[in-house]
Amino acid sequence: MTWRIAVDVGGTFTDVVGIGPDGSAHLAKAASTPHDQSEGVLTGLANLATAAGITLDALLRNTLRIVHGTTVATNALLERKGARVAMLTTEGHRDVIEMREGLKPERYNLRLAPPPPLVPRHMRLPVRERLRPDGSVATALDPASLANAIEAARGADAIAICFLHAWATPAHEQAAAAALRAAMPDAFVTASHEVLPEIKEFERFSTTVVNAYVGPVVSRYLGRLAQRLADAGYAGPVFVILSHGGVAPIAEAARRAAATALSGPAGGVAAGVALAREGLDQDLVTFDMGGTSTDIALITGGQARLGRGREVGGERIALESLDIVTLGAGGGSIAHLGANGTLQVGPRSAGARPGPACYGRGGTEPTVTDANLLLGYLDPDSFLGGAQRLDENAARAAIAPLAAALRLDQDATAEGIIRLVNARMADGVRVATVRRGVDPRGATLLAFGGAAGLHASAVARDLGMRRFAVPLFAAGLSAWGMLRTDLRFEVSRSIGAMPVDDAAFQELESQARARMNEWFDGPVSTTRAADMRYGEQVFEIAVNLDGQTTPDAMRQAFHDRHRELFTYALEGDEVVMVNARVAALGRLDGDAGRYTAPPMPPATARRIRLHGAWREVPVHRFGALADGARIRGPAILESHTTTILLAEGDSAEMDARGWLIAEVPG
Amino acid sequence: MDPVTLAVIDNRLRAIVEEMGEAMLRTSYSQILNSSRDFSVALCGADGALVAQADHIPVHVGALRFAAEAVIARFPVIQDGDIFLLNDPYHGGSHLPDLTIILPVFEGGARCFFSVVRAHITDVGGGTHGGYNPGATDIWQEGIRIPPIRLGDAGALREDLVAMLCANTRIPRDVRGDLMAMVGAARLGAARVSALLASHGRAPLLSAVDAILDLSEAHARRILREWPDGVYHGEAVLDDDGHGRENIVIRAACTKQGDALHVDLTASDDEATGFVNSSYPNMVSAVCMAFAFLLDADVSKNEGAFRPLRITARQGSIVWANEGKPVTLCTSHCSNEIVEAITRAMQHACPDRATGGWGRRFRVAIKGRDAKRGRGFVWHLFHARPGGGASSAGDGWNTAGEWHSAGGLKFGSVEMAEARFPLVFERHEFRPDSGGHGQHRGGTGAELLLRLDSDGIAFANTAGDGARHGSAGMAGGADSAPHRYVILREDGSTRELRTKEVEVPIAPGERLHLLSAGGGGWGAPTARDPAAIVADQREGYTS
Repeated sequence: MTWRIAVDVGGTFTDVVGIGPDGSAHLAKAASTPHDQSEGVLTGLANLATAAGITLDALLRNTLRIVHGTTVATNALLERKGARVAMLTTEGHRDVIEMREGLKPERYNLRLAPPPPLVPRHMRLPVRERLRPDGSVATALDPASLANAIEAARGADAIAICFLHAWATPAHEQAAAAALRAAMPDAFVTASHEVLPEIKEFERFSTTVVNAYVGPVVSRYLGRLAQRLADAGYAGPVFVILSHGGVAPIAEAARRAAATALSGPAGGVAAGVALAREGLDQDLVTFDMGGTSTDIALITGGQARLGRGREVGGERIALESLDIVTLGAGGGSIAHLGANGTLQVGPRSAGARPGPACYGRGGTEPTVTDANLLLGYLDPDSFLGGAQRLDENAARAAIAPLAAALRLDQDATAEGIIRLVNARMADGVRVATVRRGVDPRGATLLAFGGAAGLHASAVARDLGMRRFAVPLFAAGLSAWGMLRTDLRFEVSRSIGAMPVDDAAFQELESQARARMNEWFDGPVSTTRAADMRYGEQVFEIAVNLDGQTTPDAMRQAFHDRHRELFTYALEGDEVVMVNARVAALGRLDGDAGRYTAPPMPPATARRIRLHGAWREVPVHRFGALADGARIRGPAILESHTTTILLAEGDSAEMDARGWLIAEVPG
Repeated sequence: MDPVTLAVIDNRLRAIVEEMGEAMLRTSYSQILNSSRDFSVALCGADGALVAQADHIPVHVGALRFAAEAVIARFPVIQDGDIFLLNDPYHGGSHLPDLTIILPVFEGGARCFFSVVRAHITDVGGGTHGGYNPGATDIWQEGIRIPPIRLGDAGALREDLVAMLCANTRIPRDVRGDLMAMVGAARLGAARVSALLASHGRAPLLSAVDAILDLSEAHARRILREWPDGVYHGEAVLDDDGHGRENIVIRAACTKQGDALHVDLTASDDEATGFVNSSYPNMVSAVCMAFAFLLDADVSKNEGAFRPLRITARQGSIVWANEGKPVTLCTSHCSNEIVEAITRAMQHACPDRATGGWGRRFRVAIKGRDAKRGRGFVWHLFHARPGGGASSAGDGWNTAGEWHSAGGLKFGSVEMAEARFPLVFERHEFRPDSGGHGQHRGGTGAELLLRLDSDGIAFANTAGDGARHGSAGMAGGADSAPHRYVILREDGSTRELRTKEVEVPIAPGERLHLLSAGGGGWGAPTARDPAAIVADQREGYTS
């Protein structure tokens, strides 16, 4: 029972990583199957078995656990293909989710039609009931209006119950949920106090409605996946990585489906945290550049940053989520002449179909990948280990009209596309770092995903970062990260007028530990945090309260954090704790595994264009580099799954753990 | 200039102003800045010309250059490390609550840019708490006037001046916190643009900036050329000035010829007694805002985009008051009416671009005592937002607010308000039938039923407009319903709230019933898709 497997479903490919009984890591791929991602998952598992030289049955019967990253919830939100949802809500307040706090995106775009709300107004059903902020009842739950609302909700697949001040006491929501579950046993019922028992109705209602919208889709999907795995002979646990970067059992992921909205990119950040723990660097910027988008996140002191202001598909999800910056640019992004006459890259992408022009599948517009090919950075014959031949003529034909419009030759145009996309990537890193008040220059840029290796050196230079790293395992790193993260369960509650003290945390901690103990029998640790403010302030700040047990120490932690953020503290003022939050963490066992890249035919050198001139540079096989091997730029390193460009002055060394670590001159 | 370097620099300049904005959000102290985001940041050229501005509050879009120009005019010698401040609407500001920090940026001994941060401060003294004094008949009753001053030099603030400012506000802690945030954000912008100057060299960078402005100009002119030449007229009417004068008219004559547009507001009515007058910079900015809304959203908002625009007006009129007149309401009113008059004129030239009117601002501030918490309170109304205008693209956004912020002002949580103030939000929903009819319907306003549970009598101040005039319909669409705010007394009687009142008593147990305006409709109501009419009724947007 010694295999551990992770499956990361992306837009184009499903990546599977397995660490076997002997500690060797294997990587397999399958085409993603958007109509039912579990098909691609099973194909990927079968490919993994083949790579390991055993049968799928033997693999699955000897697998300890499977961790899964899925984009089902994300896609349902982006494509507006979620459930039909009804909402039961406090009479007189049924428009909270459509008012969106008065905000509209795109300030100067007044000719922008409003998006339809996830629950149309006629399905936002008023219930007569009203609570006060102290939890007392102003108007008792009226049985007749509840019955009417339930009657009107029939036909919906999912129901969100969202009552004002349910954070203070859940009694009314619980009563409504019980009645609903009795009346509509097949519906997905979710109540705001279960999803996010915190004050502020827009955040809580929106998150609950998203949970209802994606809940049935995610539940059905995970159910199908579990069934397929069982049919294939797997009897162990399946965990799903959630937006906060920890994993949870499949049932929990179905119940809190909204928490899977960032499941896709979470693995890469989890990998960064694991690499930090294993000695790469305590401060990392993860740079995951794929075909259509790029995900960037910051790890400081070995910890990923979490935030609660996330929107997916324009919908607010106020659950704890990794603070990931997503740029709409990647290898497939299309370069074009913008409306103001300047060169622009993205946000339109050639996607998986037709793909970049050089894939020869009918793409006619120039992409970043086409530019990389024309500059010699990609080898037409060895791309993806030779699995995808690249067509230079098609790339040239695609770039010609843009070059003409810019009055540049094609080479200069290709170089311009790369310069511009590198500048955008660097700005994305700035957003993730300096705009969060962190200087990136001391951190290591961790490049992974298919496309990052060609851009990492330029991005690091632009930002004054001195080091970048590319694991040999770059293409499978997100999946690998899922095997290296903890079980995580979050609980929180708003404190209301209660004082800042230990009791609130102890109660949450025992709740969280109890849940974690249902999940597994390993060691459990907990963390404490709170949203706090001064009495007269309107906004709370998140304060880490690990190890703080006395009210004085908690207040002091808040003053210190406030000073850090705002340069001053008001130590004489009243301190209010609005939300207390606890996370229980269960450490899953397992080592990092060792990866050996499949062999490639040798290569020696090729001509590439750098800074306006063509020159011959050495080409190395990434997987064949000896431990401690040192390479000076300019040079190209290639493996089956990624290509790395070292610029002039870069000096890279192959670490024994399979990390290429490049020093960039300052 | 090679097009790739140009694109890279253009990208960096935008990223810098966005980063300045993030810094403001992260570090500002008061709610109006970090929640409602009532601030703007920009980079201006050595002569003050707007180079790049982040998308914050549209009514600031054309105003920040005046701040930089006022500093240049006032100070013959400007040095590296200087920190300038102003708020005086007659010397570079728009209205007194907006403080502006201006930092020069030098490279190789030459001034190249100004880093500018403007932010709305909740209180700047004056006759009423919160900056809006409908009773004011001159600017001295509105707060402290700050013509351009050197708030610091050699990179250090003058603490004596900061203390003087703090002594002139009712909330010194917020003002100090916000001022520090503004200086911090301006310094950040200055540092970033310095690095850009150093990496590209001064002359190449400045010529890239010129090229970027030229591209925006060409972009704007390309759009202008699509519209038929002609002289177009439009007007908008303010309810009143709060001092007995009603129906004050703003008149726009817009001459579009070739790739240029002349906006003439000369025929607008005379200046008013109360605070609905506009300062000159605010008027110019409102015209720029109207123009920006008519262009495509992706036209870069910089000096180049506004070059095709010529603006004329008459000093002493409502849109350009004589020095000393009160102007505090002007960033809302008469800004919104200037935009409305121009849009009404231009609907005849480019109907697909002219969006229905966005709601007018009608603010209420309530001051009283809170029995449960045993202290005084001041609560500012941001709920019951008015509706957004309909457009050729579709119906308007419900409760997305006014033209001057266009969905950029956030209202707070009802639960939080109930937890912190002696208020009960009995009802806060869309107001049916409030959006203007049209092929596309204006967004709905809201209905707020708010019970006051204060300890003893509380007092309301109001500041706004639009209880008489709704939001303008465009291209054949109808005007929206106007605002209607009333106090419901416990004996069943009612008392209508006017838009410009001070110290209106409200007893505990009495309720405010606030119905906010919708947005204006777009296109002929007869052209509305029958299915949309059915849907409106099903969803209760109409009754």
